[in-house]
Amino acid sequence: MLFNSTPFILGFLPLCLAGFFLLGRWGNARWALPWLVGSSLFFYGWWNPPFVLLLAGSIGGNYVIGQRILHHAMAGRRTAARGWLIAGLVLDLGLLGWFKYANFLWHVLAPDQPALHVFLPLAISFFTFQQVMFLVDSYRRDRDDIPPLPYAAFVAFFPHLIAGPIVRPRDIIPQFRNPAIVRPNRQNLAAGLTLFLLGLAKKLVLADTFGSFADTGFNAAAAGESLTFFEAWYATLSYALQIYFDFSGYSDMAIGLARMLNVEFPLNFNSPYQARDIAAFWQRWHITLSRFLRDYLYIPLGGNRRGEARRALNLMITMLLGGLWHGAGWQFVLWGGLHGLFLVTHAQYRRHFPPMPGPLAQALTLLAVILAWVPFRSAGLPAAWSMLRGMAGANGIALPQMIVHAIPPLALFATPVPVLPFLGDARTLSFPEVSACLLLGWFIVLRLPHLQAQSPRSRDWALTAGFALAVQALFFAPNVAPFLYFQF
Amino acid sequence: MRRLACACAASLLLYAAVFAVLLDRPLSLGFLRAQIEAKLARGAAVASPKLVILAGSNGPYSHRCETIEPLLHRPCVNGGVAVGIGLDYLFTRWEPLLHPGDVVYLPLEEDQYTRSRAATAVGPDAAIMLRHDWATLVRLAPDRWLGALFAADLRGALSSLIEMGLVATRFHDPRGETTGSMNEWGDHVGHTVALASVSVPVLAAANPLHVSAAQVRAGEGTAMVVDFLAWALAHQVRVVGGLPTGFADAPIPDATVAAIAAVFSAHGGCFLLLPNRSRYPRSAFFDTPEHLNEPAQIAHSRTVAMALRDILDSE
Repeated sequence: MLFNSTPFILGFLPLCLAGFFLLGRWGNARWALPWLVGSSLFFYGWWNPPFVLLLAGSIGGNYVIGQRILHHAMAGRRTAARGWLIAGLVLDLGLLGWFKYANFLWHVLAPDQPALHVFLPLAISFFTFQQVMFLVDSYRRDRDDIPPLPYAAFVAFFPHLIAGPIVRPRDIIPQFRNPAIVRPNRQNLAAGLTLFLLGLAKKLVLADTFGSFADTGFNAAAAGESLTFFEAWYATLSYALQIYFDFSGYSDMAIGLARMLNVEFPLNFNSPYQARDIAAFWQRWHITLSRFLRDYLYIPLGGNRRGEARRALNLMITMLLGGLWHGAGWQFVLWGGLHGLFLVTHAQYRRHFPPMPGPLAQALTLLAVILAWVPFRSAGLPAAWSMLRGMAGANGIALPQMIVHAIPPLALFATPVPVLPFLGDARTLSFPEVSACLLLGWFIVLRLPHLQAQSPRSRDWALTAGFALAVQALFFAPNVAPFLYFQF
Repeated sequence: MRRLACACAASLLLYAAVFAVLLDRPLSLGFLRAQIEAKLARGAAVASPKLVILAGSNGPYSHRCETIEPLLHRPCVNGGVAVGIGLDYLFTRWEPLLHPGDVVYLPLEEDQYTRSRAATAVGPDAAIMLRHDWATLVRLAPDRWLGALFAADLRGALSSLIEMGLVATRFHDPRGETTGSMNEWGDHVGHTVALASVSVPVLAAANPLHVSAAQVRAGEGTAMVVDFLAWALAHQVRVVGGLPTGFADAPIPDATVAAIAAVFSAHGGCFLLLPNRSRYPRSAFFDTPEHLNEPAQIAHSRTVAMALRDILDSE
């Protein structure tokens, strides 16, 4: 079930909230938490009911193993705790590896053999990482001994089940054990609903608008078409906005939903395109994944404690695996590798040179991030190369003939064509229309604070600007696109 | 919670006010509206019995009333505008101008049969009605009122600002020089072979998709055509269905043609199937797979006129 669908907004959400708080009033958390877990499993099963068994089995298995690890660790039996930890990690990562990477690896190892056609269960990357954290925290004795129900609620909690934020057990599970959680809090309901609606507007009004522009260009590149300069750049700039508005909008909705249920989630996006260096970008983009990779991969690998060469290697390994987590394909590996390279280069630059002027540093960071989105979005490496060639002007610079006719100096560098077939709706006015949309989108991401940093008055204005457009998109737009991060 | 409700209510009010009163799209929708009104004005001015051609843009681009009128010896109005204009809107505007003995020729594009009501509700005519033509809007079904109110999205808002800005700065619209213009019959003229040359690569690469017979039978556009046929039967207006023009190398499947023909023949109309099924080589087209260039438009119109004359004479 999608957050941006009418069954969720008009059916599931009101019923889930009403059931949770009514059961909380009559029977306290004993009834409310099972209702929440049951609702979350229903939410997950809406997509493909049999996979609820996989999720439930994974939750049960990890809980049992986590408890074993904790008990051994508390009793000082480190070897036994480590054994259980390794077993748990092997099971979790084995399951993720099979479902997510078996097809890819099989294709790499035996390209001539028929594909395995392993079906990827929704959200497996997210709920696996949640539970890996639980197991490792158990080994580190970094959590309390907990009953199974709050643990199940922590993993299956529908606001973050499908696409995060990836939250730490110690931050969330205590909230499910707080008896006050089942009492409706008017302030939390209002703040949560506001965030949810603003996230919905971000997704439906902004992300889907830019998504249609991006799809036109990237689909053409995938089909072997040669994109001209503006077509390629507009598609790439649109995708950079789409993925930000889509995923940060989803995160805002998740944070808002959790808040309605009296659960506080951490911030997941902090105006990442305003970052002035690539390290700062990763402290602002998908913050909860970055923290996971730092705390559960980069630091255990040695972090920066073993010299510069080892640090660079650790960064590369972390980013390559981070890229691979997004999907089983070489384009994701390349994207992760590029970011690893950016981070290593940035670290070396900082050691040897003074900081760049702020605007130049921000522009360079943004350019690097945008260029790295090209392989990430492309259907494959040939399509990415085709897009990059278009951005470099290798296929020429073309503009609609009516625009060149109206502004003759443009003919000095642009070839007039009837329409740009891979830009927007391929109408003459698509060029100024997409240009205006891009200006608006980039103004929002580069100049305005993110939603959680805005004052209540600013949020009211944002809601006034976006609510009706979100209603339009939800009920009257011909197509509603799924969230991008559902595929990861 | 009150703040939230106020912000949401303010948003809806602001949206309605902005799109119903303030913003307009004078270049794109204004162009369509001007065409619609000019064609309706001619429809009201000419005497009956007359011939009216209603379709999407293949109507004016591929059919020429200027050619057909003298061959049929009856006034002709080319009433088609664009494929996105809702059939219910088109029929509602034209019905008051149709009288007993009039003939309506419908070479509708395939998409017009299958277009959903939801898509129709937010089509270009929805924005036109909300801004300029409430009289027609209130005559349509209530889902069209809501659709008209919520037809505009962010892109529409920005496009409105661009188009209003261009008009305010007296932007010279070069469409006449690049694609041709409309004559007094409502035909598109001046779309010469020379002007078509820039679109040769686009036409060569175009791969038109066809709808299936099942889609035609189940289509919500088909239901609107059937309603119009019933109205026409009751008002002694003859309706003749036809095929839109298209590439000879991408023919409409036989089953789809049969389904389209059945829509008319089963509901009191008749169907005109030309020997070439309105198919022409790609070199006969102007800028899209539905738009013939001017010489081909004239030739096709002669063929249609002869065939229509045979139908009308036989009854």
